[in-house]
Amino acid sequence: MSAALSAREQGASVCIVTKQHPLRSHSSGAQSGINAGLRGADAWESHGMDTVKAGAYLSDQDVVENICQEAAARVIALEHMGVPFDRNGDGRIDQIKFPASSEARTCYCSDATGHNILQTLYEQVLRMQIPVHHDCSAVSLIMMDDGTCQGVFARSLRDGSLIAFSSGSVVLATGGMGRMYLDNTASTASTGDGMAMAYRAGAALRDMEMVQFAPTALAPNGILITAAARGEGAVLVGSNDAQLDSLAGSDAVSQAVARELANGDVRLDFKGVDSERLSETRLLIKDLAGIDISKDSVSVRSVMHRPIGGIKIDGSGSTGVAGLYAAGECANSGLNGANRLGGNALLESVVVGRKAGESAAGHAGSVGPAPDLVSHQADEERKVAAIVARGKNGESSGLIRRELASLMQESVGIFRNGSGLSEAAAKLATLKVRCGAVGVNGPASGYSTEIDSIIELGNMLDVAEVIAASALAREESRGSHARTDFPNRDDENWLKHTVARGSGDGVKLDYEPVTVTRWKPEGSS
Amino acid sequence: MQVNLNVRRYDPVSNGNGSRQTYSVEVEEQSTVLDVLIQVRDEQDATLSFRGSCRTGFCGDCTMRVNGKAKWACRMPVSKAQVDGEITLDPPRLVKGLKDLVYDQEEFLFDKYAATKPWIEPSPPGPTEEHIVSQEKIKELQEASSCTLCGMCDEGCTVLIIDKSFLGPAALTRAFKPVADPRDKVIERRLSELSEKRGMWDCVHCFEATEHCPKGIDPTDRILSLRDEAIKRGIGTPRVVRHNDSFAKSIKSSGWLDEARLAIESEGLTNIGGLMHLVPTAAKAMAHRKAPLPYLHKKRPGSKHIKRIFEKWEKDSK
Repeated sequence: MSAALSAREQGASVCIVTKQHPLRSHSSGAQSGINAGLRGADAWESHGMDTVKAGAYLSDQDVVENICQEAAARVIALEHMGVPFDRNGDGRIDQIKFPASSEARTCYCSDATGHNILQTLYEQVLRMQIPVHHDCSAVSLIMMDDGTCQGVFARSLRDGSLIAFSSGSVVLATGGMGRMYLDNTASTASTGDGMAMAYRAGAALRDMEMVQFAPTALAPNGILITAAARGEGAVLVGSNDAQLDSLAGSDAVSQAVARELANGDVRLDFKGVDSERLSETRLLIKDLAGIDISKDSVSVRSVMHRPIGGIKIDGSGSTGVAGLYAAGECANSGLNGANRLGGNALLESVVVGRKAGESAAGHAGSVGPAPDLVSHQADEERKVAAIVARGKNGESSGLIRRELASLMQESVGIFRNGSGLSEAAAKLATLKVRCGAVGVNGPASGYSTEIDSIIELGNMLDVAEVIAASALAREESRGSHARTDFPNRDDENWLKHTVARGSGDGVKLDYEPVTVTRWKPEGSS
Repeated sequence: MQVNLNVRRYDPVSNGNGSRQTYSVEVEEQSTVLDVLIQVRDEQDATLSFRGSCRTGFCGDCTMRVNGKAKWACRMPVSKAQVDGEITLDPPRLVKGLKDLVYDQEEFLFDKYAATKPWIEPSPPGPTEEHIVSQEKIKELQEASSCTLCGMCDEGCTVLIIDKSFLGPAALTRAFKPVADPRDKVIERRLSELSEKRGMWDCVHCFEATEHCPKGIDPTDRILSLRDEAIKRGIGTPRVVRHNDSFAKSIKSSGWLDEARLAIESEGLTNIGGLMHLVPTAAKAMAHRKAPLPYLHKKRPGSKHIKRIFEKWEKDSK
């Protein structure tokens, strides 16, 4: 929506195509907050440093500088749109100190920051009269013979029809791919659709081995308890009542929790925390675990949280494929390196979203009249017809997804090793073959999600293949990528980005240097 | 544990009248109703359709009736939802069903929300400072904006049952936020628009919306606050103002509500057309012995104490 708003401000004609209504999007679940150095001209510097350190020096530092410098203006702009940020005693925006942050710089709306930003941006989308086509699931990019992207094909959930959205440019903001893991904090829509579409259209996926795990999900539901809880003083307690370092980065804490779970229970203790500040969290835990956090601690575990890698974009949001831009969780801007600093996700979405929207509007202005899409449309319709034609045959996208999710959790999860990853790659290939055989059981009428589930499974398998290949190749441990067979960080050989592209015979990996400006890598062992 | 999920099946194309289907599922104790629906779709029946996004109670997507009562499927543990091993699932009752548990969110929620023009007009680009706002005010705004537009309050609303064009508690609750927001510059325009037909004055304050709200936002109270704000600013129909005045006058003088006087004074003593409208209603009431004649309005015992409360309030609020 940030991208749509900024493109509209540039005078472009814009519409939003989304498989769920924007108000149902997963940003509503981003409880924690948004980072910005608001006070002082150089407040962005420590923010940049914390970001780079948290990212284990895999961040592109020019990108970090730009985004951290832009942060204050974006937070102020959001405030002027109506986001009700919590205030300090002077009536100014209050900021708290988040885990792995050296300063109090996270702005927040109680523990429902994402929800409030999402609602406010949607209000502005209404104000700017940007048409929203919801219940409309993008299935592929419209690619011209010269390699430019000129729109998307989407399936309408309402009646199953295929709609061509022809446009001068496209911004992908399709979110993550968490549903490919068994235990995850993702929304049901997070199936890697944008990543897979871009990858198939020739864009690169970067640093896909970096998959962030969150340390404080409700055991056994796997529902996330916000990192703000640790920021507010909740502490992790392992077996034998030993306290874990609760204020380290999410990569280190998640790995510590996962290790500790091998010995027994890990609990999150809210003693001394102002539970008013965590009112949503308190309700959530009460409803799902039946526990009152002002009295008892809760059992937690590490679960898959969000991708750090994604569609490779440059500072303008461009994917390198002409006409194709990306922002948010599906994109990899270079900000987060190997692990994301808490409070940077919402920031990255609004800053990069704005940039991508501006660039996309500029590009669209230079594109000629809409192409004739009759043959493209016929090709797309044949693909769906082929799925329908397979009919009922015993294979099920749901069962294959469950197998995929177990496999990813087991072998491409929080800890990985070479043999597990090689096996995973082989198993993924067989799952792909099986996915290609799944047919439908019922009529493909309105609001039947059978065909969509099959397309989503295909997307997840394509992305999973890239994650497994990237993780197998990176023979070191850095940030959220923890290899038990290569436990140390290795700057000499691996201070570089993994760049994956599709080729006829599977995933093709390349490497690109990391941009280092002012923060020299340290702490490698 | 074992549960039987008894689900409403409906497909306008192949099964126009709808039917019920029972799925027997082995589930984990901690699963929510939404988890189980996903499990059924994955393992047993790919044709089953339902809504649900964030799985944690932040997006408002998975509203459905669980054993007849509107709930969020994602916040309902199966262990609590099951009655003798069975859970009955239906779409909300007031909205148009589209397929199985999927219902139309457009007409009831999104369109009405948009109709309230809920956005704030942002300042021209380039502000470098935030507005100074008290934390107390922010808390009030956050409470109102914690609404996820899940439609649960609309599901309970007793006006929407008879008039689907009423804006309804969900849209009105969201409309309250910009009205309460000190950063907004067009509060009077908002209140006049919300005062139009099918707007805030159509609420009968039955408090069902408040009962239904899973966030504890108290939509009924938001609607009453909107009305207070309108009256304070002299917005709203004169009829409403006369109704309120007559109501208060009656209680102050007798301790009871004088319903005949309320009806007449609300219409206005010089409003001949309005008064004529009352005649059939009055006649019907008499025919059903709901208005015994001669009509005498007596003071209730202790009414002088009630009068004293009014006088004290009048003195204090001056």
